[in-house]
Amino acid sequence: MTRLAPTELINELAGPLADWLPKQRWFAGKDREIRAVRPVRATELVGDADPGLVHAVLAVEQDGGGRTGAEDLYQVLVGRTQRLPEHLAGTEIGTVAGETCYSAVHDGDLGTTLLDLIAADRDVAGVRFRPEPDAQLYPGLRSRPAGVEQSNTSLIFGHRYILKLYRRLHPGPSRDLELHRALHRVGCQHIAAPLGSIDCELRGEPVVLGVLQEYLSNAVDGWAMANTSVRDLMAEGDLHADEVGGDFAAEAYRLGEAVAAVHEDLRRALGGEEGDRDRLDAAVDRMHRRLDRVLVAVPELAPYEPALRRAFDAVRSVPLPLRLQQIHGDLHLGQVMRTNTAWVLIDFEGEPAAEVAERSTLRSPLRDIAGMLRSIDYAAHQILVGDEVPHQLEVRAAEWTERNRRAFCDGYAAAGVDPREKATLLRALELDKAVYEVGYEHANRPEWLAVPLAAVARMTAGEECA
Amino acid sequence: MADDGRPDAALGLEGVPHTGEAVTPEGLMVEPSAEDFDHARPAPRHPEWYKEAVFYEVLVRAFADSNGDGIGDLRGLADKLDYLSWLGVDCLWLPPFYASPLRDGGYDISDYRAVLPEFGTVEDFVYLLDQAHRRNIRIITDLVLNHTSDAHPWFQASREDPDGPYGDFYVWSDTDQHYTDARIIFTDTETSNWTFDPVRGQFYWHRFFSHQPDLNYDNPAVQDAMLDVLRFWLDLGIDGFRLDAVPYLYEREGSNCENLPETHAFLKRCRKVVDDEYPGRVLLAEANQWPQDVVHYFGEPSTGGDECHMAFHFPLMPRIFMAVRRESRFPISEILAQTPPIPSGCTWGIFLRNHDELTLEMVTDEERDYMWAEYATDPRMKANIGIRRRLAPLLDNDRNQQELFTALLLSLPGSPVLYYGDEIGMGDNIWLGDRDGVRTPMQWTPDRNAGFSRCDPNRIYLPAISDPVYGFQSVNVEAQLNSSSSLLHWTRRMLQVRAKHPAFGLGTFVELGSSNPSVLAYQRRWITPDGNEDLVICVNNMSRFPQPVELDLSDHEGSIPVELTGEVPFPRIGQLPYLLTLPGHGFYWFSIIATESGEAP
Repeated sequence: MTRLAPTELINELAGPLADWLPKQRWFAGKDREIRAVRPVRATELVGDADPGLVHAVLAVEQDGGGRTGAEDLYQVLVGRTQRLPEHLAGTEIGTVAGETCYSAVHDGDLGTTLLDLIAADRDVAGVRFRPEPDAQLYPGLRSRPAGVEQSNTSLIFGHRYILKLYRRLHPGPSRDLELHRALHRVGCQHIAAPLGSIDCELRGEPVVLGVLQEYLSNAVDGWAMANTSVRDLMAEGDLHADEVGGDFAAEAYRLGEAVAAVHEDLRRALGGEEGDRDRLDAAVDRMHRRLDRVLVAVPELAPYEPALRRAFDAVRSVPLPLRLQQIHGDLHLGQVMRTNTAWVLIDFEGEPAAEVAERSTLRSPLRDIAGMLRSIDYAAHQILVGDEVPHQLEVRAAEWTERNRRAFCDGYAAAGVDPREKATLLRALELDKAVYEVGYEHANRPEWLAVPLAAVARMTAGEECA
Repeated sequence: MADDGRPDAALGLEGVPHTGEAVTPEGLMVEPSAEDFDHARPAPRHPEWYKEAVFYEVLVRAFADSNGDGIGDLRGLADKLDYLSWLGVDCLWLPPFYASPLRDGGYDISDYRAVLPEFGTVEDFVYLLDQAHRRNIRIITDLVLNHTSDAHPWFQASREDPDGPYGDFYVWSDTDQHYTDARIIFTDTETSNWTFDPVRGQFYWHRFFSHQPDLNYDNPAVQDAMLDVLRFWLDLGIDGFRLDAVPYLYEREGSNCENLPETHAFLKRCRKVVDDEYPGRVLLAEANQWPQDVVHYFGEPSTGGDECHMAFHFPLMPRIFMAVRRESRFPISEILAQTPPIPSGCTWGIFLRNHDELTLEMVTDEERDYMWAEYATDPRMKANIGIRRRLAPLLDNDRNQQELFTALLLSLPGSPVLYYGDEIGMGDNIWLGDRDGVRTPMQWTPDRNAGFSRCDPNRIYLPAISDPVYGFQSVNVEAQLNSSSSLLHWTRRMLQVRAKHPAFGLGTFVELGSSNPSVLAYQRRWITPDGNEDLVICVNNMSRFPQPVELDLSDHEGSIPVELTGEVPFPRIGQLPYLLTLPGHGFYWFSIIATESGEAP
């Protein structure tokens, strides 16, 4: 039989895709009507076999929703077959010209094609599959999709590799890939080694479609690790954080060492600079502006406003120079994985709320530390959310936070500079982060609002007394 | 010391064959020869038996007393072989039963060729060995290569006559300023590795107690003498040796005097004697060090190993305890990930408890503080740098945890070593001195002296445990034999299951990670010589709370996991992650049975 050419296929599939896209978790514009779906490019990766495989970038035009030029780019992989196997039934998109089209990321055999193309260093009609220079790849492994993800889809090959496929595409360089490459070049031990990439050009700009990395097959994320410890603590109640069996402090210490090592490696690989008074003032101004916005929405924050503003303004007079460099940018317990040998940092995409261009500006490493300290506080309090909480457990949670914050900072200090030496800046960054959390929780998870609010209250209480 | 200056005077072995009972005109001591005794029948042939064996450490003193003197003996142990055979153990490990002044639990040997009289005679040992081999049970014992007791006739001769044939058997020096980089091991009793001997007027070197002078392996005569000690017991039929304190055989200036190349060279000589003259016997190294250092005691990988067949994996044990307390698999996962591959002819020995304290040398200071805080709540529970407790009291007598720990011991890579009494959940007595708290009499019955001895209870070497929880009235073999739900019956069933699956002893180990840090899952896989696959998957919940786990078993899609203790088939492995739920401290062992072509029926 003769098949439709790939572009033709996607054109024909536009209707079913418009129905299918909003049901995908990674699709960003769920709340807006889709006006049109059209292929920006479509490439046949497997043509002469059943199932076939088509790679496509879609332009999805949606109702404005207040935005102008509301056209987003999405990457899809479409499998096409005469007979869809039963286990793939849930992945169907629609039928075109006698062929059933389906989401190919669920088809382990088609996944193999992607790995094989990377290993073979192939360029298929402008879609470039490249291994990293030092990567030794074993092709032929079947893939399986990783668990549910927010904005990407990842395929795992055996126990060796993971291929992260970006769904919504942003033309321009990928910070995640570039930082991984830079860290790998200097031999960083606390990242998953980058092994390959897929990219193409869109509208004259390069765009990264996917990144192949070493798969951390025996790893657990930091959030689950911390929760295991907190669970143990809360079940005891009468024991202090340093007394219960599930103590996390040793892990927090090692995590601090790992973060310090990554910061050091980033500095070695990509350099740094010294921040001046103007940069500092601009950062303080941004903190104030964020506070302004959140205060409007969350009146509960008002009692702490004077203390917060004093904490921010105190940064204006911290001694210079201030060390600036590339940092992780969005560090929290969910971005670190405990492997059998070390803590590993993942996802160097940067601060999700920031514009893409802004994400790669140099920042103080204290920003990452503040993020992790806030995350530790969240871990201690999250299982108390929503319940009438006995005072005793509140005390335990606070003890756990304090113990593990200290251990994290001790670990960081052992491998780098003690972040507590810059207490004024660290405190302001933490409070700024907490203010952001107050705004976020208020808008998205009101029952969690108490967690960052309590942190703001706690961190400003001492200052009030002083 | 006796006044007559005879080198064997300090032995107290009048009337039994012993070293130095006569001296040749050249000044050499006459030593007992294997030809003077009967030899045990050989064990059934099985060259790599140690890889599949379950070991059982039993203290002769503590197991059974045949003559009513209040002290366990070799004949008493022989009487209990039927019990051990029923339990399903494959090899007994006996700590030293040699002649000894017993100032270091028998590790201070005063005559390598004589049995401690209170345990019996060489003839009694041959009888025990013969009876054990009849039941397909092997026996190994400790051999201390590094040092002797100061009562050994060699040392007596060495200090009396510096120019005689034994003058150079020990490490003598005019000064105590040599080898100062060597650490002191027993820091709580010794201040130096040198002690002055007023008889010879020189210092002698000792890595352990001052009454245990180190042999001088730079002297070829010492090497030959010790190889002949090996041959003596191997000729009688013994199945191997646990070589005690092997890292310390040689001393070299400027080094820490551990793991020196000369030490490895001598171990290769020992191994060659075994391979050439006694194939099928094993050498087990006791080197309390990190696995990456211990691995050198297996010898050259390209030959499959040309030093010891086995070595203890010390750091694993405290980490099993730590993992369960932290409800996190990582203490175990990490140490296994750091354990290097070993030569093909070798295996690890792993254990939960033994006659020494729970050793904390192989953990960091911070971890040691943690373990002390968690497991040694009373200061008396701490000894040297370890914890002197038995398994059951360490685990608060929690049956679920005892089962989990034992399941881990029986399924992690290496040959498991059980400690006598732990199969019935025996307790300890922390009020007894030194390490005696975990060396009390085996509890056979609720009768006098726990059925261990007919003697007057005041005469017994250590009182049987008699507290209300672990006392012999409630915890004993007889009662547990009569109850099919007892820990004893459970342990026996687990040994039977293990014996059916060569993957446990021989198979590869691959951890199956999951996103739940409290669940430790791994795969053991072995291809039998006839090409069949034995594939076992073990899933362990380190948490006291029930846990779910999703395992990536996609390599086995279409296969059926069959739970090994009850032969219950579980749902077929499909495309999705395999979901299991485990009760608190629960575990599963599954055999993975491949179905035709992996297709659903």
